[in-house]
Amino acid sequence: MAFVNLQNVTYKYPLTKEPVLQNINLQIQEGEFVSIIGQNGAGKSTLCYALAGFVPHFFKGEISGEIEVDGRKSSESTLDEWVLNVGLAFQNPFNQISGAKYTVFEELAFGLENIGVPRDEMKVRVEEAMTLTGIRDLADRSPYSLSGGQQQRVALTSILVMRPRLLVLDEPTSQMDPIGTREVFGVVRRMAEEGMTVVMVEHKVEWIANFADRVIALKEGQILMEGKPNEVLTSGLLVENHFGVSRYTSVAREAQQRGLWKKEKLPVTLDESVEGFRS
Amino acid sequence: MMNIEITNLCFTYPTGLEALKGISLTMNLGEQVAIVGQNGAGKTTLVRHFNGLLKPTSGSVSIGDWETTKQSVAKLASRVGYVFQNPDEQLFSRDVLTEVSFGPRNLGYAKGRVDELVQRALALTELADKTGTNPYDLSPTWRKMVALASIIAMDTPIVIFDEPTTGQDAVNVARIAHVIAELKKEGKTVITITHDIDFCAENFERVIALSKGQVLLDGPTREVLGQEEILAQTYVDPPQLTRLGKRLGLKEVVTRQEEFLKAIK
Amino acid sequence: MHERLSFHIQRDSFLHRLNPLTKLVLTLALVIIAFTFPWYWTPHLLVIAAIIPLSLLGKVFREFSLTALRLILPAATFLFLMQAFFQPIGTDIIFKFYFLDVTTESMLFAFRNAMRIFVMVSSFTLFLLSTHPSELMSDLTRRGLPGQFAYVIISTLQIIPQMQAKAQTIISAQRSRGLDTESTFFKRAGSLVPLVGPLVFGSLVEVEERAIAIEARGFTSKHVKTSLHEIPDSTFDQSLRWVLFILIIASVGLNLWLS
Repeated sequence: MAFVNLQNVTYKYPLTKEPVLQNINLQIQEGEFVSIIGQNGAGKSTLCYALAGFVPHFFKGEISGEIEVDGRKSSESTLDEWVLNVGLAFQNPFNQISGAKYTVFEELAFGLENIGVPRDEMKVRVEEAMTLTGIRDLADRSPYSLSGGQQQRVALTSILVMRPRLLVLDEPTSQMDPIGTREVFGVVRRMAEEGMTVVMVEHKVEWIANFADRVIALKEGQILMEGKPNEVLTSGLLVENHFGVSRYTSVAREAQQRGLWKKEKLPVTLDESVEGFRS
Repeated sequence: MMNIEITNLCFTYPTGLEALKGISLTMNLGEQVAIVGQNGAGKTTLVRHFNGLLKPTSGSVSIGDWETTKQSVAKLASRVGYVFQNPDEQLFSRDVLTEVSFGPRNLGYAKGRVDELVQRALALTELADKTGTNPYDLSPTWRKMVALASIIAMDTPIVIFDEPTTGQDAVNVARIAHVIAELKKEGKTVITITHDIDFCAENFERVIALSKGQVLLDGPTREVLGQEEILAQTYVDPPQLTRLGKRLGLKEVVTRQEEFLKAIK
Repeated sequence: MHERLSFHIQRDSFLHRLNPLTKLVLTLALVIIAFTFPWYWTPHLLVIAAIIPLSLLGKVFREFSLTALRLILPAATFLFLMQAFFQPIGTDIIFKFYFLDVTTESMLFAFRNAMRIFVMVSSFTLFLLSTHPSELMSDLTRRGLPGQFAYVIISTLQIIPQMQAKAQTIISAQRSRGLDTESTFFKRAGSLVPLVGPLVFGSLVEVEERAIAIEARGFTSKHVKTSLHEIPDSTFDQSLRWVLFILIIASVGLNLWLS
């Protein structure tokens, strides 16, 4: 039985005509790092919300099919129970700061206060999480005084502290500058190395290639294609469907047509390109 | 000539933060300029002087024959259009048509001209079929296009884009690049602040790298983006193709696909 | 930029160390007694015997005096003048100011009312200076105040400065589209829509995201909530609250009995 199991999931937001997710079938193993790509409007965020329980419990609407994580069914749980198992972080770090706390340490403890964790345990868990994500030096700062990258790292840590089994990240670096992007990817990498099961929506194709176990390409609410990163990300199917591809891939594809790229497989990363062009 | 002349520009915020420490440059009409550099280097502070939102602490900024200290922001808006990063900070009208007409109407153009400019802007941004929709009923992707159309419709000789591609998917980035290409054809000056160095390499001829309130590098794209060590000072990575070219030992700096393919022959 | 709206100043004083609820009760006691105790000089005495000593005990005398001089005193003086001149009571005319008669009675009446207002605003000022909002909310939540209520108050205090920053950006964006904020035509109400519209709609989007974010952190969990910080409630605090409570009852009772 897969750790995450979506079976024939179809979902329509209230007051809309078309379903945003259509017949999604997806299995994810424990510890896997799955990346989701697709155009804006393809249903990536909705898929994230479905994994995190907000679809349908928060947004209502019409859903069919089954969503299961860690043996539990979304249809048989309440949202406040489900969020203990599945953590969700999204694009805008500012909107993820609760506003209820004056220091980062307190902000991290906010979730634990809500679920009734005893005070001593709270402090231990916050310290652990801060060390894991490298934000100990921010502990006494006001969350609103931080840079975008710092805020996003605090947001991720505040989810981690809840000890979810599955982590869902919806474009966590989209609004970051290069430094912030590096910082956030660094945290995500560390979490994956700790064995966390991660589903991440991301546009930055090169990073996905280096790090994801599997890539799922979403188009108009359906899975267009899924597989290993360098199969999916170099596939002509993506180009036909106007997905963003790595410039390394497109230049190699063009080079291949001119006889300048001799290998059969196209590259996604810098190293793969270098290797391929040298030969 | 509708050039931007910046002479010894220094700017200190009321908080005491010295954001610009003596910048002098010229941007001629029709240039496409990308401004890069880490957050805090002074990029936004610099471009906000172009439409008068900020006035120099010392030094001067002129748009054509207008010195910015002697004109209101509303007046400078007839020469400099500024597309803010977050469309939700400017959209308010009940439909796209009204929203896009807001700018040109404020500038006092005749009704006929306003309609013409609005139609052209809507066509360029693929919004012609959405004129009656409320902007907030559109997805973030299309709201971005509405924001762009709203500024283009003002038909200013100079247009500034603040981080136009952040958070956009490949399709929308292509749309934005198309808009910039059209503006270039019309001989307009296009200035962008961007972190997307590949987008910068593919669409702009001149790059200015700022660091700590001063100009670190200023020159043709190929020259500037080839200087990896200097750019690293302001946390800017070279474009993907440039890095690839370097690793393969190419003699010239390449920034675009065609250049690269010719160079490896 | 201020990250949050806060009047609170961090000091180590007797007043700061009191439990937040105690301070709240103290503030209410001062106000209720000033308004109800049936002795003319009550508010005046409270200022000298309670407000000023408390500000010294709280080590916030300097900040309090500044606020008193800049805000409270002018307001109370204005009120005094309005009541003295425009609410004629009695017949003992002291002097005439153009067509306005000022009587002794109205001056005394106004003086007492102005002092009552002074006591009210001063005691809330002292309360805000010496109490951290999140401590107050934590304590009240512990005693049964719904979590959502506390959340709304604290998050509003922190988010208003952010909204001010956002409003500034919106104004810049609309000015850049030719909205003229520098001439008198701007004063027409229609010009407010381009400024308020984005603020409201943009905020709605943010509010939904924040609701999801706090939900994801167990905000609506049915568990009994715990608290990171312990807010002490000593026997002194509890006894003081009882004493104040009795004083409030006595004051109100006396007032009703004598009227």
